[in-house]
Amino acid sequence: MLEQTQKLLLDPKLISEMDGPNGLHCALQRAIELEHATLPTYLYSYYSLGTSNPAIQRLMLSIILEEMLHFALACNILNAIGGSPAIDKPDFIPRFPGKLPGGVESGLTVHLKRFSLDHVFDTFMVIEAPDEPLSFPLLAVADRPVTIADFYTKIAKEIEAAGPSIFTGSPTRQVTGGFPALEIFPVTGVESALRAITLIKEQGEGTTTSPLDEQGQFAHYYRFAEIWHGYRLRPVLDPPPGTPDDQKYRYDGAPIPFDAAGVSPAVSNPNSKLYCATSQARYLNNSFNYTYTSLLKALHLTFNGQPSRLNSAIAVMHSLRELALEMMRIPVDAHHTAGPSFEYQPVNP
Amino acid sequence: MSYLNPPRLHFAGKFQAAVSTVNNDPTHYNNATFIPAYQERQTAAAPNGWWNPRGDANWRMIGCAITSAVLPDGSYAAPSDPVMQSLIADSDLTVAAKLVDLDPEQQLVSEIWGLEVRIADPAGNTLMRAQYDAAPFMNIWDRWPLGSGDGMAGAQYQSVLNGIEWADVSGSPFLTALKEAASDGVLSIKFNVDGYDTNFNSPTFTLGRVVGTIGPAQASEPRFYTAGRQFMPKGLPSGHFFAPDGQINFCTAVVDTTAAKIMLYLGNSLPVSSMGGAAVDIGGLSLACAVTDANGQTTYVPLGSIEYESAGWYAQTAGVVTLPPDRRLTEQELSSIASNPLVILKSVGGFDTIAIAESAGGVYVRADKYVFRLNPGETATLQLKATAFGQPYNDAEIRLYLDPSQLQGGGPAPPAGTPASGLTFPGKVFTDSTGSAQVNVLAAAPGNPRTYIDGQVYGIRPVLLETLPGASYNFNPWEYVSFLVWDNFQADPPVWYGCLQPVFQQYANLYPLMQRFLDLSSYDSICMNLVPLRIAFGLNESDPNLMPVTRDLSADKRKAILAWLTKVDPSGKPLLGTPPVAETESAAGQAAAKSSSLDAQKGGKFAAVKRRQVNQRSR
Repeated sequence: MLEQTQKLLLDPKLISEMDGPNGLHCALQRAIELEHATLPTYLYSYYSLGTSNPAIQRLMLSIILEEMLHFALACNILNAIGGSPAIDKPDFIPRFPGKLPGGVESGLTVHLKRFSLDHVFDTFMVIEAPDEPLSFPLLAVADRPVTIADFYTKIAKEIEAAGPSIFTGSPTRQVTGGFPALEIFPVTGVESALRAITLIKEQGEGTTTSPLDEQGQFAHYYRFAEIWHGYRLRPVLDPPPGTPDDQKYRYDGAPIPFDAAGVSPAVSNPNSKLYCATSQARYLNNSFNYTYTSLLKALHLTFNGQPSRLNSAIAVMHSLRELALEMMRIPVDAHHTAGPSFEYQPVNP
Repeated sequence: MSYLNPPRLHFAGKFQAAVSTVNNDPTHYNNATFIPAYQERQTAAAPNGWWNPRGDANWRMIGCAITSAVLPDGSYAAPSDPVMQSLIADSDLTVAAKLVDLDPEQQLVSEIWGLEVRIADPAGNTLMRAQYDAAPFMNIWDRWPLGSGDGMAGAQYQSVLNGIEWADVSGSPFLTALKEAASDGVLSIKFNVDGYDTNFNSPTFTLGRVVGTIGPAQASEPRFYTAGRQFMPKGLPSGHFFAPDGQINFCTAVVDTTAAKIMLYLGNSLPVSSMGGAAVDIGGLSLACAVTDANGQTTYVPLGSIEYESAGWYAQTAGVVTLPPDRRLTEQELSSIASNPLVILKSVGGFDTIAIAESAGGVYVRADKYVFRLNPGETATLQLKATAFGQPYNDAEIRLYLDPSQLQGGGPAPPAGTPASGLTFPGKVFTDSTGSAQVNVLAAAPGNPRTYIDGQVYGIRPVLLETLPGASYNFNPWEYVSFLVWDNFQADPPVWYGCLQPVFQQYANLYPLMQRFLDLSSYDSICMNLVPLRIAFGLNESDPNLMPVTRDLSADKRKAILAWLTKVDPSGKPLLGTPPVAETESAAGQAAAKSSSLDAQKGGKFAAVKRRQVNQRSR
């Protein structure tokens, strides 16, 4: 079966610069930006799914929530070592189409596109591709660009090397709680920081020997692969000893039906100027962008000393979906509906 | 002091009220007769769920520019004052505020809940952040007399801003003055809404015009109206919402004896020539004081003309007119004004007529807060204030009586306002030496008179003895106090079947939008969302995230729902209880009698105003 062979590669400087002053702080800020950056593209496709794709919707939502968890944990680590996540700023949001931020170097161009299986394969499975994918040879190139896993591994090493002395941040800045599947835990020292990094890596990619993360869930890459293949991944019953790791699971579980006709034909890569200045789509898009910017502002405060704002921020996130779904009912031409443009817009004009 | 006094700023822009309309027809509350078509938009043939069944109740301030600012000395802030580039905006940290009817049978006091008001610089940075004290609209009228439906209506909101936080505003002389004027921790806010668009094919669907004012307030003053000089028109029978006989709607003025000026508020009082458009030319308007001598001869002391016709006047001033425009009032004028009625004269073709005037004696009484939600056994205290020519009216006798005339029950819907035993209150009260009186209103369980709508709605009208209906005083139909009194609800322990299922089913029916998040009619769907539901049902009333948005859940029911969501069985799920025996009759087959589809197509408030019991009686 076809598997995704591309993967997201980062600028090697991300790793080399970590040795410099403030290196760990900068690296974690990059990590926060990167964890957030996938959300608009995932959300845009998720919003477009309509009501006839509940299985795909559930899988995508589970991934989206975990991305938010990774974002929160990266913020907690940065706060724990005395840093301050910078979330409320225009360049926090990637441009679409464009590259992901955080020193992403590979050729992957990320779009805001309605859901399609091709989009899952071409973008989502590339973003989440494991460092050492099961069933594929390693990229054995000296001086190769680094992967997200390399990046987090290096952060973990730096934290271990620095030891407990760097954990100078006030524990009151730690954000905890959240809804189920978003159980954010506090980072207060080396052990919890490493636990957070392991969780981020494994939920994204799985472990080197299994598609499962430590919670027994399939990693994001494999969840997207399930969607793409149209079947749940399940373990092979009683594999004989010596079975290679990549033969221990098959995409032959319950079917994941995809109703392409149920997907809203939302326009690709919209920006606010696409919509006529006086139109329902423009007003909705303005409100969406204002609300999205409000979400960043609320998260900024949440992760800068006001952790009790978390639930309120989550509610803002939910209200984004409401606006997006309303937009995706509005035709903009004969073939497309509107969709939200995910732009930094601190006023509702 | 109020929004009328300087320092004050004016703003103009759009508002959005994305209300859900399934609940606009009270019969839709009946689970037994609810059909899926009620969740669809209306068609030419069927009212269905009216014009916005997917509404989310969101209230937004959109593109509200500050159009002018008046410094304490009455002069305008310079264009270079940063306030003149600033905006009035809503929260940039929470979800949108919510616009909420009191009840399907009292839709004419819709309150805005959870509104944060900000003054922001052009980049959106907050200069002032404050919380709007939830308040309903008042004085809805036929502002665009040639229009129809909700688009013809205008109404006003007045409240105070609490919890004020200031950024560094030292660069703005105006904002510095406003900050100083807010020493009691409150500001006064007034805004008018009109031109509301209910056409779902229109680019501006669910939007309307908002023009308003923010100014000083004192904690000791009324929060929801200004105790000043009250102009009282007579309503024409031809009106839809309210048509004032002299074309000018209810309005207020205050006399500032120190500045020797009158501030007259016409923001919600002049008719417009198009939906959300400019004021109609109704003739030359001027303010005067009607002085009647011992022989009964009345002379009109001119106090200045009202220049309302100029382009941009409304957006620039929000309808605040300072008179006389070019001089101070003389001592003699002040003396006349103190004891004689103010009138607005209308000059057409050289003939002057009185367009609107204060009542004889300038007498007036108002309850400050005028919307209450009460559980059985709870007491609401009405803060009444009587004034005569704007001054405290001491030892005045105020009569209070149940008045269901403006409620919207009856017809195919359950009757409103009965039984009378739902509220207990004194029939009369006298004001003290400050013109004030407090009246306690005790709620009792109405006994489920509306079957499928919890509790009952009531209206209590406070009236000065001398202005009781029948006397020759003009009468404001909107000046009464609305109550929603809930019934008791007992469930020990609360379970799904036969207990909370009907409650959740009703919300699922009335708010189809919720299906995007969860199916409130499904036990399984609720089980999958226990944590967010516990949070949303447990929030403070003022929180824009509170469930239900409609704030129509009694304390008993809220307690039962929270207990049910929290005290789960060993499998982690709320108690299911025993399924009821299947009913023999298919409920979906029998659609209820509904309101007139014609009214429903014209708008929510338009249909509500037609359903008022006062109209049913006169039919």
